[in-house]
Amino acid sequence: MALRLWRKAIKMMLREKKIFVIFTGIYTILIFLTSFFIETTLSAGGGFLSNYFIMIFFVTSLILSLLYAWLIVSRNRKIFATLKCIGWTNSNINSLVTGIIIFTTISGFILVIEGLFHYAAIMGYLKSTGGFDNYPLILISLAPVVLTFAMFLFVQLIAIILANRKVLKVRPVIALKRVGQ
Amino acid sequence: MPVSKDVMIECIDVNKEYRRAGAIIRALVDINISIKSGDFVIIQGPTGCGKSTLLNVMSGLDLPDSGKIIFDGENIARSKEDRLAKIRRQKVGFVFQDFNLINTLTAIENVEAMLWPTVLRSKEIENRAIAALRDVNMLERKDHFPVEMSGGEKQRVALARAIVGKPRVVFGDEVSGNLDPQSEKEVMELLKQINQDYETTMIIVTHRDTVAKYGDTIIRMDNGRIK
Repeated sequence: MALRLWRKAIKMMLREKKIFVIFTGIYTILIFLTSFFIETTLSAGGGFLSNYFIMIFFVTSLILSLLYAWLIVSRNRKIFATLKCIGWTNSNINSLVTGIIIFTTISGFILVIEGLFHYAAIMGYLKSTGGFDNYPLILISLAPVVLTFAMFLFVQLIAIILANRKVLKVRPVIALKRVGQ
Repeated sequence: MPVSKDVMIECIDVNKEYRRAGAIIRALVDINISIKSGDFVIIQGPTGCGKSTLLNVMSGLDLPDSGKIIFDGENIARSKEDRLAKIRRQKVGFVFQDFNLINTLTAIENVEAMLWPTVLRSKEIENRAIAALRDVNMLERKDHFPVEMSGGEKQRVALARAIVGKPRVVFGDEVSGNLDPQSEKEVMELLKQINQDYETTMIIVTHRDTVAKYGDTIIRMDNGRIK
């Protein structure tokens, strides 16, 4: 049953587009940049600056994930209230919200994997032209990306807990309120 | 107290108060009613008379401060939220004034949504949704989104969603509030048809006389009391 609700959550999210595209885009950039600086730290020692950037991106992802969870529940309060009226339990709605949040993160991860191939090709080309000999060529391996993804999933768990608490507070009677009430 | 099998919902000494801006509003005062299975009941009264509050407590959306709500033989006045959700899924359908359809779902998906959290197989859910849409003459619009439908069509899809779970009771709150007279007539005739075909108990809240005329029983309310 939860699998069915996750499938439906993905379908609803893909159709809503706007918020999904924005947050997937942001997650893609954050996963890429965090992976880049983890790679820098692992391969070249990185130093204080790299660690500093990793921390910034991690905190940013945490804030954005919480914002995303808050937006999902706030924008869909009436829908969730209606679903409660027609017999959905809190746990059913939480499955829907969890599906949306996890799918957005996984989409960001898949886009990063895709983007890494293009990034490697661009880096290889720039190196072959000889114009960037004075700069170190940093290619991102899979390990930092997987590590970043695991970090992001952990952050999403916190967001899911927040969303679940907000879902509990949605009262079904809201569904009966008229628009503007 | 033994409850007759014939009685679908019974309210016994039900009271409900709200506090707003320091003032206490008595929304329901000593309500005692008995609604029989298969009845078409209209709850009528002016704005603020407590009719929507009565619908909320009878359907388990809200709890009374005191009294009993015997729903199909079970007192739901102190039931937990998950138990109430289960009762609503198995025995209740809702029709709202604002239709409350999900804009990112097609008509058939909106109807199916009622059954997604059940153990029914996807094919069975689809078949039931198709049958419900056929009952409300909306099968040809099953792949349309709510934004592509008129108010009357949206309300018919909402009605299909309300009946797809084969409920014992359908609650409606100002179901024709956003409809033109022709759509109101169509929706009310459909509700009457479903009431007669499936013996579904209908409890409709309204302030309109044009809707009240469809009821077998009319409960008139004023100031939280039954007149």
